[in-house]
Amino acid sequence: MSGSNIRRTPLERIEYAIIVSTLLLLVVITVQPILNLLAVSLSDPKQVPGMGGLTVVPRGFSLDVWSLLIQNPNVLRGLGNSAFITIVGTLLSVIFTAMMAWGLSRPKLPGRRILFVMVLITIVFEPGMIPDFFVNKRLGLINTYWSLIFFKLVNAWYLIILIRFFEEVPEELLEAAELDGANAFQIFFKVVLPLAKPALATITLFYLVFRWNEFFRAMLYLNDQSMWPLQLVLRQFVVEGDKLAMVGVQNMNNYTGASQIDMRALKAGIILLTIAPVLLIYPLILKFFTKGTMSGALKG
Amino acid sequence: MDTSAEQRAKDLGASGNVPKIARDQHAGLLAGKLVLGLRKWWPYYVMMAPGIIFFLVLHYYPIWEAKIAFEQLRIIPPNIWVGLKHFQTLLASPIFYQVLLNTLIISGMKLIFVFPVPIMVALMLNEVRGGSLRKFIQSAIYLPHFLSWVVIAGIFIAALSPSDGAVNQITGFFGMAPVSYMTDSGSIRWVLVFSEIWRSAGWDSLLYLAAIIAIDQQLYDAAEMDGANRWQKILHVTIPGITPTIATIFILNAGMFLSADLNQVINFQNDVVRSQIDIVDTYVYRIGLQTGEYSLATAAGLFKAVMGMILILMAHLVSKRLTGKGVW
Repeated sequence: MSGSNIRRTPLERIEYAIIVSTLLLLVVITVQPILNLLAVSLSDPKQVPGMGGLTVVPRGFSLDVWSLLIQNPNVLRGLGNSAFITIVGTLLSVIFTAMMAWGLSRPKLPGRRILFVMVLITIVFEPGMIPDFFVNKRLGLINTYWSLIFFKLVNAWYLIILIRFFEEVPEELLEAAELDGANAFQIFFKVVLPLAKPALATITLFYLVFRWNEFFRAMLYLNDQSMWPLQLVLRQFVVEGDKLAMVGVQNMNNYTGASQIDMRALKAGIILLTIAPVLLIYPLILKFFTKGTMSGALKG
Repeated sequence: MDTSAEQRAKDLGASGNVPKIARDQHAGLLAGKLVLGLRKWWPYYVMMAPGIIFFLVLHYYPIWEAKIAFEQLRIIPPNIWVGLKHFQTLLASPIFYQVLLNTLIISGMKLIFVFPVPIMVALMLNEVRGGSLRKFIQSAIYLPHFLSWVVIAGIFIAALSPSDGAVNQITGFFGMAPVSYMTDSGSIRWVLVFSEIWRSAGWDSLLYLAAIIAIDQQLYDAAEMDGANRWQKILHVTIPGITPTIATIFILNAGMFLSADLNQVINFQNDVVRSQIDIVDTYVYRIGLQTGEYSLATAAGLFKAVMGMILILMAHLVSKRLTGKGVW
């Protein structure tokens, strides 16, 4: 490949430049809107009203927006709710998905085919949000965090990913453990799970992102606004334009300089706050997802 | 590896290709096998129990609950069975047709305008020579896939603002009057298209890129020997090489045609543009959980679910026939 570099014609060089600049334009379109919000949220509140959407440099500098945000009880509660639902939900999801996948990956498991079909049917046929709502109501889950934690507790697609992975666990390893007197539980938790670390990490990240981003089921199941995840607090304020979501309960003017806080800056801040945890694990996502998806192909 | 392949071959034989007599004997031994099986397999069932219970309670119980689509709900049970009455009401309602039409238009626009973008991105990424340059581009364009639709709607509301949004600044530079895209009924469907591209073009290109990298390098070398240039190589080696992947993903998307992505649409809706982007799912949400017409809403949801199921199964069969690879 390096050889062909030398033989490049001028036309090919122009083509290459066009391709690379198109991709770099894509990068700008992806990243610039987020950087603009960051600049707006960090600017001096008095200067925000004149700021355009193209700038990525703050005008003046102030942390007013951020200090307002981290003092806002609705935002803090939203953060806490989201963290709880995300962490507890992900933990349960990962362990239940792994345990079920292990059973289903054993070719001789009695009833394997029936269970498999049972899972596949749920991918193909979803009766919809109203029956889901009624079942949650029947079970007394409405207005509890459990309604969200139980939603897609075991994701059929991630289950299939793990089954495929577990099917590749070498039989000899299991037989050796069995000869050592390990029972089925010990084999799973001490031999299989450690082997499955990359696959487990991948679905853990999948579940984390899914749970952190979920908002619609919270709209359905949580009437009590104090239980809302951050996504819904953000939605009410930014998408529905309801300022009360942010500042209604307290008097806005109680904050120093709050009367000068630009709503746009506050919106930018809360959007970024909602993205922040995703950005935090994004390097891990890149590491596991891209490797996972690419390595299979690279072998070929 | 070899042993597991052998194992699988044996299992296939046991369930499929064994003569009938042998299978009958198999059935006779079933009771005895059950006892033996229970002794060996109960730990596996204990481990699978939470998952199985989850699927039964939160996927199969709702299927049973969907019977309210055929019932007249009463405050004091039992409900009255009314058969297909709610479905007739639905199909006689012009609003439902509008909603169905909106769904098809939005899905159709996405299939035409969103679907090809990640393929082009993958083709371009594959041309990038520098490993670190490519990695940099990838790290940036994959990000939006991991943001929620609430966040993306927030970003688009800011970027499309008529007073200080980036888009209107750019069009203003070319002398165009500002447009409030979020509240413009002529633009809102395009906003859905572009926000979908913004969110998924990068990440979805990964699937195609993986398929491209899997193409045998010798094919490229041979093409180069024959004096093929960049475009000829793309046209005659790369694109044929990823056609099965394209087909599979196309068919998979076609199977989702009646969904049109509730999570997206519900965040781009407002009173001004609702009629343009009211889809089946937002309709179900509105008449069901906001107005309380549970039976009618369930009927609409069930209609979508059954049509969706037919589409997915068709997609699966077509995909299997064309590429030998199903949806699952």
